Amino acid sequence: MQNTIVILLLVAATLFSVWKLMPARRRLQVLLALDAWLARRDFLQDWRTGALARRIKTAGSGCAGCAANVGIRPHSRRR
Amino acid sequence: MDAAVASPSPRIALVGVPNCGKTALFNRLTGSHQKVANYPGVTVERREGERHAADGKALRVLDLPGTYSMNPTTLDEAITRDVLLGRVAGEAAPDLVVCVVDAVHLPIGLRLALDVKRLGLAMVLAVNRMDVAKRRGVHIDLARLSAELGVPVIPTVAVKRGGADALIAAIEPTNWQAHRRVAAPAWHAPTAEDAEQTQNDLRALLDAVGYRPPPESRFGNNLDRVLLHPLGGMLVLAVVMFLMFQAVFSWAEAPMGWIESGMAVLGEWVGSALPEGPLNSLLVDGVIAGAGGVLVFLPQIIILFFFILALEDSGYLPRAAYLLDRLMGSVGLSGRAFIPLLSSFACAIPGIMAARTIPGWRDRLTTIMVAPLMTCSARLPVYALLIAAFIPSESVGVFNLQGLVMFGLYAAGILSALLVAWVMKLFTSGKLHSPLLLELPDYQWPNASNLLLGLWERVKIFLARVGGIILALTIILWFLSSYPAPPADATGPAIQYSFAGRLGAALEHVFAPIGFNWQISIALVPGLAAREVAVSSLGTVYALSAVGDDVSGQLEPLIASSWSLATACSLLAWYVFAPQCLSTLAVVKRETNSWRYPLIMAGYLFALAYLASFITYRVVGAWS
Repeated sequence: MQNTIVILLLVAATLFSVWKLMPARRRLQVLLALDAWLARRDFLQDWRTGALARRIKTAGSGCAGCAANVGIRPHSRRR
Repeated sequence: MDAAVASPSPRIALVGVPNCGKTALFNRLTGSHQKVANYPGVTVERREGERHAADGKALRVLDLPGTYSMNPTTLDEAITRDVLLGRVAGEAAPDLVVCVVDAVHLPIGLRLALDVKRLGLAMVLAVNRMDVAKRRGVHIDLARLSAELGVPVIPTVAVKRGGADALIAAIEPTNWQAHRRVAAPAWHAPTAEDAEQTQNDLRALLDAVGYRPPPESRFGNNLDRVLLHPLGGMLVLAVVMFLMFQAVFSWAEAPMGWIESGMAVLGEWVGSALPEGPLNSLLVDGVIAGAGGVLVFLPQIIILFFFILALEDSGYLPRAAYLLDRLMGSVGLSGRAFIPLLSSFACAIPGIMAARTIPGWRDRLTTIMVAPLMTCSARLPVYALLIAAFIPSESVGVFNLQGLVMFGLYAAGILSALLVAWVMKLFTSGKLHSPLLLELPDYQWPNASNLLLGLWERVKIFLARVGGIILALTIILWFLSSYPAPPADATGPAIQYSFAGRLGAALEHVFAPIGFNWQISIALVPGLAAREVAVSSLGTVYALSAVGDDVSGQLEPLIASSWSLATACSLLAWYVFAPQCLSTLAVVKRETNSWRYPLIMAGYLFALAYLASFITYRVVGAWS
């Protein structure tokens, strides 16, 4: 039993770490792909238009480890 | 995606010049229902909050970066303009603009209000700090102002309870939805004639409303004579910073002890409540010894930010920027770099992003490159742990020795930033130093509710990190430190045979010249994700390294007994310079739009860290 819980916790921690340390642009791509995939299906529509849409909106930027993360768009040129 | 993102909630944008009380008003409107971006530092932060209208409908309230006009000179001003024009991807123009102006310094705010009004958006003018204006004899005919501008004009006192009630009523959708603009707002860059016209309109408006500038404050002037004095001012600044770090150690001692005791009790309880096994080890040696060990530093972070927020709210920080401008200019930093560099004391990421407020590319690049040298709050747990373990808590005159060392580490970060900027100046051509132009706000007592809200945000961010990425990485490190299991004939601690143990042994060859043992070498790897993880990693590694029954939840006595003073000092020197934060490098890549600069940054910081640690280890080793 302890082994099973530890494996589950480890998998969750790994997925969470990968997600949080992933570049913001890649995270946004994953979310958009999920959004597009769900758009072609009938289930989870409430979640898609609610929580997922909000997540997409704030996924554009931010420090991976930081809780505060409201999106601003990346700039293409800085000079 | 657009359909998914579109929100039916009306959007209200707060716009105003810096230091007009816009953020205090935003706090009044949204209370704690707000989300703070890791956008630039406090004065250029972008926040979004929510409030409910009388009919229960949600209103989204946006606090835009402070700006002086719609014709931007910096990137953050451009963001304000773009949000108002609906040019930001995924966001339409706001439905209502609340333009906040400071009643005491009306002309500068009113000039912006004239610019914003020309966009044709539904607008309310909030004339803030009316209490101070009355006290200082400033008269404004608000009814006339409203008639001249053709928009509702609402007096507010953002820092007082009930001081924004009239504004809350004015932003009810029923009061402005009829004036809501359907087409996208139009804007063109103003010509010289446009600027002249705005100035004429402004003069006429100020005459019409009977505005006269207030007589100068004697108290403020006298205080400025001391605080802005080239020598006396610097002395005061040094004393203020010094006292801040003394307080971080002295005041935090008791609450840190409570959290430590709580963690120890929790560890014992979990250890005895669960049968021996991997889950028991994960919770006790991994989660509680690791992530719990970082939680201990919460009181110090609260105290540090209490001072920073109080100094900002009192109006002292812009004066500090003014004082340091000449010094910063002499090493090739723009005076405008002060706020980004100050933000970097919280975290280098908002500091690097705040460098958008610096107009010149070279000035901006220099600021970005030195921002990670400012001591961010993530370093605080590492410094605090090592100082508490190796520096005796004794008095040196009236000062606490531990506080003195902490002050020294912060000073080392600042001095190295100045040094690196100076070296960069030698390698860059052209004019680097742009003059600093900033408005010095009036002195005021810090507002308690603003302070509490600011501190609450920092607490939330810290707890989210401990409960998020730090906890997750601690669990992974526990696994890497526990598996594979040691062979039957193993003689040393189990961790030496694990993945992490082997990695530590390999890295030890690299770090041995600077005095790092294999446990430190292991902790540096997950510490790249977030600096504080090094503390939780050390907690986990040492908890798992203990043989038999001598497992201790207390990391501090463990390292005090197993490391030399030279090793501890070397690790401190490492953390002053090392770019132990991948997120920072990622943001530098995004902000500079190139891999070149994050690679240069990582290279020079690692080289500096190794060199500083090597020298420190050898010098302290020879003396002790």
